[in-house]
Parts: sequence; structure tokens; C-alpha cells
Amino acid sequence: MLTLRSLLRPTRRVHAHCDIPCGVYDPEQARIEAESCLRIIEKYEGSDDPLFRARCIHVKEERAELVKHHLDVLWHDYFKPEHLDKYPELHETFWKATKQASKVKQSLDAGAAKELLTMIDTIDEMWKSTGGPDKTRVNGRPS
Amino acid sequence: MRPLALALGLAAGSAGVLLALRRLDAVEVTGASMAPALLPRDRLLVESLTYARRRPRAGEVVLAADPRHPDRELIKRVAAVIGEAVLLRGDHPTRSTDSRDFGSIQADAVRWRVALRYWPALRFGGIGSASGSGEPWDQDELGGEAACTAFGDLVTAD
Repeated sequence: MLTLRSLLRPTRRVHAHCDIPCGVYDPEQARIEAESCLRIIEKYEGSDDPLFRARCIHVKEERAELVKHHLDVLWHDYFKPEHLDKYPELHETFWKATKQASKVKQSLDAGAAKELLTMIDTIDEMWKSTGGPDKTRVNGRPS
Repeated sequence: MRPLALALGLAAGSAGVLLALRRLDAVEVTGASMAPALLPRDRLLVESLTYARRRPRAGEVVLAADPRHPDRELIKRVAAVIGEAVLLRGDHPTRSTDSRDFGSIQADAVRWRVALRYWPALRFGGIGSASGSGEPWDQDELGGEAACTAFGDLVTAD
């Protein structure tokens, strides 16, 4: 007798495959770019020079885009299905953090940049508690 | 209630028949090269009726044997179809091994099309187009010129 459950059970795995993930991951990469965003916003606010302020906006947008990139790489490549068992909110956390990075890219709101740092720290805790520092950094994360 | 129950019964019945005929199947995604449209552990219904009638079209998400490891079945998006050659690409441009690496595959080797995602339930539904504007798969009809821009010297358009 076929049950709904047996009908919905996958019969095979299909691979959204990539050949060469390098295996080195660290949320610190995203954090440094996010810290840059915060500092640039502060420098923007402290200046009257329109040219400098224009440069601030340009560079901040680049840095915020890098935050998104680094978070994406962690999300897709470092975190594995077994981590999802430990942190069921993992997808939600990354989704919100990358959205927050977009917000920082679009605005000059220092509060938004601080919020982004907090979110990256949450991801950092997940990375640490799943053995990230020893598994992914050469000789562990430098202290 | 009666028409609804009848409709549900018919839908379940036809799904059962298609499953029995191996025209409908359930698969689980592993790997992240299709992010953000598909995430690892997503479960999908796939069907093999469409490509019995016609060739794959650009933008559709399909299953195909990996040309380099035939025992591995890939899930990728059709970036372009040029004659009998199908070019596949992952949505995640820097994290995908696809036709940029292994070239085109034959259209008749593509049998399964993704119909919908049924799990997680909160993301139930069709698989939309890839995010990001200006990418070749955003276009409904993809000509040889756009395909060659995307794939450089991989293909010679006819």
C-alpha cells in the first residue's frame, strides 16, 4: 500500500555540483568588510567635502557587496546538511544577514551597519561551534 | 466539498499513475551551485513527459547525467539550446561546475524537468528564473549570439 509519505520520499539525489571549493572559510572575512562599512559611514558623517563623501559612498557599496559575497560562500560551501540539524534557523539567519548587507549597501545608517556586525557574530558562533576554526583554517584561526 | 474532493482525488490518482509509469519522481538536491533558487536538501518533483515531446528550453531547470561521471546526476539550469546542443549552467556563477567546464550535452540526454519544489513546505512551488539581471537565462528566447557571449568559445552557433 502506497502511503503519501512513501510517495514523497526522494528516490535519488541530484547534484548541484561544484568541483573546487577550496575549503577555507571564516566569517571574519565578512566581518572585516562590514566593519569597513561602519567606519566609512562614520567618516562620511564627519566630513563636509562632497568629493570625499562621494568616495565614501562608492567604497562602502563595494565593501557591502563583499560582505554579501563572503556570507554567500560560507552559507553555500561551509555549512552542510548536518549543521542544519543543529541550527534549524541557519537558512533564515543567512537570508536576514545578506538582506541586512543590502540595507547597508543602500543606506548611510550606522545603526544598520552595527546590526549587520551582530548578525555576522551570530554566524561566527555557528561556525565556531561546528568546528570551523580547526576544520577550515590552516593551523586553526590565528588568535 | 464534493467537486473539491473529486479534483483532489483525480490529482492524487493521476500522480499515482505517473509515479507508477516512472514519469514522475521525487528527488533531493545536494550541493549549492543552484543557490539561491535551490538549496541543499530541497525536495523536488521531476517529470519526464515534457521532454518526450519537445527539446529543453532556456531557463528550465533539468536533470542530466554528468558527462564526466555518468553515475552522478546533475541538476542545472538550461542556459541555451543551439540545435541539438544544450548548455547547462548553475545559478551560482562562481560556485558551479557546468557547461563552462564540460561543454554542451545532447538534447536527447536531458529527460527530466523540475516541476516543483514540495519541501520545505514554506518554499513550495515552481522554481523561478535565476536572480540577477543581465544574465543570459533571464531571456525567454535565447539566440545564438547571447549564448556565445555567455560561453565564449565553447559553442559554434549554426
